[in-house]
Amino acid sequence: MELTDADLIARVLADDDQHAFGELVRRHQSSVRGLLRQLTRTDVALADDLAQETFLRAYKNIRSFRGEARFSTWVYRIAYNCFREDARKRKELVGVDDELLQAEHDPQTVDPGLRHDLMHALSLLPLHERTAVVLCCQNGLSHDEAARVLNIPLGTVKTNVLRGREKLKRSLAAWGPN
Amino acid sequence: MNVMIDDETLDRQLREATPYIDDEGFTARVMARLPAAPREPRWLRAMILLGLALLGSGIAYLLGGGFIREGVTQLSDFPIWLLLVFAFGCGLVVGAFAVIVAVRKTPEVRDVARLRF
Repeated sequence: MELTDADLIARVLADDDQHAFGELVRRHQSSVRGLLRQLTRTDVALADDLAQETFLRAYKNIRSFRGEARFSTWVYRIAYNCFREDARKRKELVGVDDELLQAEHDPQTVDPGLRHDLMHALSLLPLHERTAVVLCCQNGLSHDEAARVLNIPLGTVKTNVLRGREKLKRSLAAWGPN
Repeated sequence: MNVMIDDETLDRQLREATPYIDDEGFTARVMARLPAAPREPRWLRAMILLGLALLGSGIAYLLGGGFIREGVTQLSDFPIWLLLVFAFGCGLVVGAFAVIVAVRKTPEVRDVARLRF
């Protein structure tokens, strides 16, 4: 029987079980690293550094996780805060790296050309729209959860998702049904 | 003329365009950076146990003599069946206590039983 996230968190809290925390990291590393790659515009090294920092902070502050939201939502919030702090320190965001985009594994179901255009269009969105689109459309968070992650009003999230979607659709119009 | 794709298709394409990122040692790197679990050193546990044993011995020595001797003498006057019931009851209490402690210290059992003490 596979343990739920809540079971694993209970083990970390009760016994300081680092193996249980390791299982949580294994489960969520892909989505957290994916989110940070989008936020850093595919700077893989920076995204992974931030992802490591995210999980370290999650471990240190796991007692403040009250279980009201999903563990993934809580970790996304930490990841977003890590990204914001780093961006503030750097005072600049890195540009799009096409080589890194192409170096990722090509999914089997999406045309590589469409995928490239989609990821490129996504990376060109303003940060607030990109973040909202990645959280809601890509990672499946509800608007409410995304609002909690980003610490902004629900209406703002909805607006950002709507605008981001429209821009992506316009960018990908050539790939649409003809 | 190009027709814009719908929300559902866009979301699906966004999800499919994001591949699963293989761990490739990421979890191990995070684990290596975790702070060591705070745990009292073994020598401290040993000292606490030794101290408690000495304290218990001291109390037993001070309370010994008439009080203990009197109690044992009274117990020996009890009927054998009462002594057996008394011993069985003590065994049950100690056994139950031991099971509770064992379950608490075994996460696998606790998760299966969903017990919270």
